[in-house]
Amino acid sequence: MSLWVDKYRPTSLAKLDYHKDQANQLRNLVQCGDFPHLLVYGPSGAGKKTRIMCVLRELYGAGVEKLRIEHQSVTAPSKKKIEINTIASNYHLEVNPGDAGNSDRVVIQELIKTVAQSQQIQSSTQREFKVVLLTEVDRLTKDAQHALRRTMEKYMATCRLVLCCNSTSKVIAPIRSRCLAVRVPLPSVEEVCSVLTGVCRKEGLLLPPELAKQIAEKSGRNLRRALLMCEACRVQQYPFSADQDIPETDWEVYLRETANAIVSQQSPQRLMEVRTRLYELLTHCIPPEIIIKGLVTELLGNCDGHLKAEVAQMAAYYEHRLQLGSKAIYHLEAFVAKFMAIYKKFMEDGLDNFMF
Amino acid sequence: IMSQLFLGGKASSGKLNSWVEPSFGDLFGSSGLNSLPLAKAPLSGGNKSRAQPSGVDVGGKKPRKRKGALQAAKPVFPPRRQDSQEPQDEPWVQVYAPQLQAELAVHKKKVEEVEKWLRVHLDLNHGGAVLLLTGPSGCGKTATVHVLARDLGCQIQEWSNPVTTSEYRTDDSFRQTFDPDSRFNSFHWTSQTGAFQEFLLRANKYDRLPMRGDGQAQDRKLILVEDFPNQFYRQPGCLHDTLRRFARTGRRPLVFVVSDSLSGDSSSRLLFPKEVQEELGIRTISSPSHGASWYATLSASCEMTRCCRAVVVVFSDPEKAVLEQLCAGSSGDIRSAINSLQFSSFAEHSLEKGAWASKKGKSAASAARVPARPKGGNRSTRSAEVLDDSPAIGGKDTSLFLFRALGKILYCKREAYEGCEVPKLPSHLSVHQRDRMIVDPEVITHKQTCRSHMSGEFFSLYLHQNYPDFFSDMDDVARASEYLSDADFLTAEWSSRPTMSEYGSSVATRGLIYSNSARAQATSQSHVGFKPLHKPHWLHINKTYRENYLAAQSLFISFCLTPVSLMTELVPYLAQLSNPMRNQAQIAFIQDVGHLSLRRFPGRLKLEALGDKEPGGLDLDGESDDAGTQTTGQGTRTLPSSSQEPGADFPSSQPQPTTADALLDEEDILIEEYDSD
Repeated sequence: MSLWVDKYRPTSLAKLDYHKDQANQLRNLVQCGDFPHLLVYGPSGAGKKTRIMCVLRELYGAGVEKLRIEHQSVTAPSKKKIEINTIASNYHLEVNPGDAGNSDRVVIQELIKTVAQSQQIQSSTQREFKVVLLTEVDRLTKDAQHALRRTMEKYMATCRLVLCCNSTSKVIAPIRSRCLAVRVPLPSVEEVCSVLTGVCRKEGLLLPPELAKQIAEKSGRNLRRALLMCEACRVQQYPFSADQDIPETDWEVYLRETANAIVSQQSPQRLMEVRTRLYELLTHCIPPEIIIKGLVTELLGNCDGHLKAEVAQMAAYYEHRLQLGSKAIYHLEAFVAKFMAIYKKFMEDGLDNFMF
Repeated sequence: IMSQLFLGGKASSGKLNSWVEPSFGDLFGSSGLNSLPLAKAPLSGGNKSRAQPSGVDVGGKKPRKRKGALQAAKPVFPPRRQDSQEPQDEPWVQVYAPQLQAELAVHKKKVEEVEKWLRVHLDLNHGGAVLLLTGPSGCGKTATVHVLARDLGCQIQEWSNPVTTSEYRTDDSFRQTFDPDSRFNSFHWTSQTGAFQEFLLRANKYDRLPMRGDGQAQDRKLILVEDFPNQFYRQPGCLHDTLRRFARTGRRPLVFVVSDSLSGDSSSRLLFPKEVQEELGIRTISSPSHGASWYATLSASCEMTRCCRAVVVVFSDPEKAVLEQLCAGSSGDIRSAINSLQFSSFAEHSLEKGAWASKKGKSAASAARVPARPKGGNRSTRSAEVLDDSPAIGGKDTSLFLFRALGKILYCKREAYEGCEVPKLPSHLSVHQRDRMIVDPEVITHKQTCRSHMSGEFFSLYLHQNYPDFFSDMDDVARASEYLSDADFLTAEWSSRPTMSEYGSSVATRGLIYSNSARAQATSQSHVGFKPLHKPHWLHINKTYRENYLAAQSLFISFCLTPVSLMTELVPYLAQLSNPMRNQAQIAFIQDVGHLSLRRFPGRLKLEALGDKEPGGLDLDGESDDAGTQTTGQGTRTLPSSSQEPGADFPSSQPQPTTADALLDEEDILIEEYDSD
């Protein structure tokens, strides 16, 4: 039994549930024969990957769905061996170069070279190029992105790249200009609701529209999350009731409790407790950026107008530090400490004003 | 074959057998009654003492102490018996080496323990028992073994590393000239490891040849190993194999003597890991140091005066202050203390006072101050003093233990400015007014990085782990945390890290000290009391984070998700769904990582106390992990250490108030262990 997310994932461009205009355009693109490099971007859970897989299927037929997981090892010039997992079919290769860390340049070059060097068999009936799908391109180092630029041109004859990322701001301009950029926006609440209802119908369940709306809103229009939430609701209680609690993930609850702990008391001891909690989140693989973002969202709810601006600015400052620094805990903790100091002062001032 | 046989027993000069004496006492060629027919004609004294592999070395009647610093400098002189005229030719360490148990400077109970062990295991057929003696250098490990061996009437057969291979070659060529037909001796070479194994085998199997005039039959023998073939450091496995073999077949007790060092690269841990010790039933006795440098003076000077009473009689009595300074400088290392004592009186023993004149003012002052001060009270100022004026002769680096270094930063002692020199800040800036610091943070971090091989970032981690306990005001904490964040930011770029790390630690330490406004004035420094220090969690957390991250990616690769959505969406929801997973590993992972215990304060993180004597070992594991994302920024150092593992490795992972207490505690434990054996 697979998850609903995977089970009801549309497999062809025609079956996509939303952004149908875009789907049509993509189909035309495939049919006109010359296929450019693609840069697909958009927020998480909008269906970028689904769309890409549909395009590939349009290109090559059902053969792309026969996936195999491969462990490749690439030797860097410094004799360092890099192990990387790839997912491949006969026609395409999917890599997350972020796995390779700082050696991503070597990995990308090697993998693309290997793919591009082998010609497609029976090129008369098939496309004469293969596709390399790179996910999380925005996490590539600058070094690797520049290397990619050259590689893209060099192997244009036998290989097309599909790049997938959340935001193009971290992709260098030369790459952006070499690709056809396709933005996949988030589905609207209504679209999410219709997808949820559709999936439930296929499962033989009845989803009250109120609940669907609630889920769609709570998921932030992230369709993957919405479907997972919906399935969790199903596990929690069936038949659905319109006002049932939508299960949250443990880490979100935990993060909220942490934020409450910060707001309820400001002292060095509390800071130590918060640190322990931050560590706990980190051991559960919640990335520091997500933690700081979650904290800010929760904390802002507790702040007054002018404090909000200050807190947001602080958060931006430390998030920046987080990106540049090497040890996340320093910056997370500095943010928490700073917030505590500001908030304490704010509360004390407020108390004074209240007294007089 | 390159062992040195020590005559353990009552080998007083009267009993010296006839063939030994000429080789040392007389001139070389005169009466070469050498027992070795193959020995070539010696060329010089220096060569000779080396080239006689199995000669019986009876340096006077004292067991020779190797590694004596001075001794290495003067092997040119043929060793003379000490009762001949010039005792100053001989290192005092040897001349006045302890003869009786009572003279040993090692704690009495430790000696008893070793003696007990030796008594039990010296009887033949008791099986290959192994004893491991550890302790800081110069605390009397070897001396203990020698004295006890003499008391128990057994010989010591000692392994020493063959010096060069050229020795073999000359030996071989020599044999070839004697026996040109032999085909076997054309070129003979064995590895040190091989030689070591052979040595063990022989020392184990064969008694020494009974010599004329040897007194009573000495069937008791113990094997002493102080030097290890270098190969063993690279592949401790070799040693373990050899030891296993020995444990099966051995008949003699085998004693290893390993020195600890302060900088954390304890070779005893490398060579004898816990598992092997348990497997082979190796008994470990560690003699503690004679007090660490800062309050070693009294006890060590007692030891020293006892050890050197003869010296003191012969020469003009060195001043007490001088002695004290020497002791302080040697940080409990008797050997180096005696050596420096000899050296200081050796140069010009009539002008000895002159040599010390320059130091005298200071040392007298400190000597005057020492007894007046209670031991615990003002330790930090005093130790700072000791650290600053390192003794002129034979002073060792007094390395600062991590515990104390952290304490200095976190407690940040200040002293008030005197009267007129107060630089006043204008009133609107008066919040920033701070009194003068007693310690210089750069000195401390420098000591940490240079002597303890601890990187500045790692030191900052320790600070970060512990600083909130020392603060009371939230604003201060916020400021301090900002400085720490700055420090990390400075050292983030791996390419510039070597240059920036000094600045980074400077910012971290000074920032912390400055931010603590409650301790800004010397007068306002409230008594914080003792706060336990802890080891940083970050390295462990970071490692777990990365491991879980990789595990998740390899387990759930078929979902084709980016890591972030995998960790924040899929895994947590999978934990809530009763979705039958494909394999056990996935289920286990989801149970572990997907669920967060929602108890208010999770108990997963155990605070690990930092012991007061711990070197704060370099956590290479964690550090390199940490640098993993930064390519090969660091990782050139290869000191093994494991402070990340729970304190099992460190015998003293609890803060120990004084050495005396520690000694007692440790003894109690060890003796219990012994009874249970």
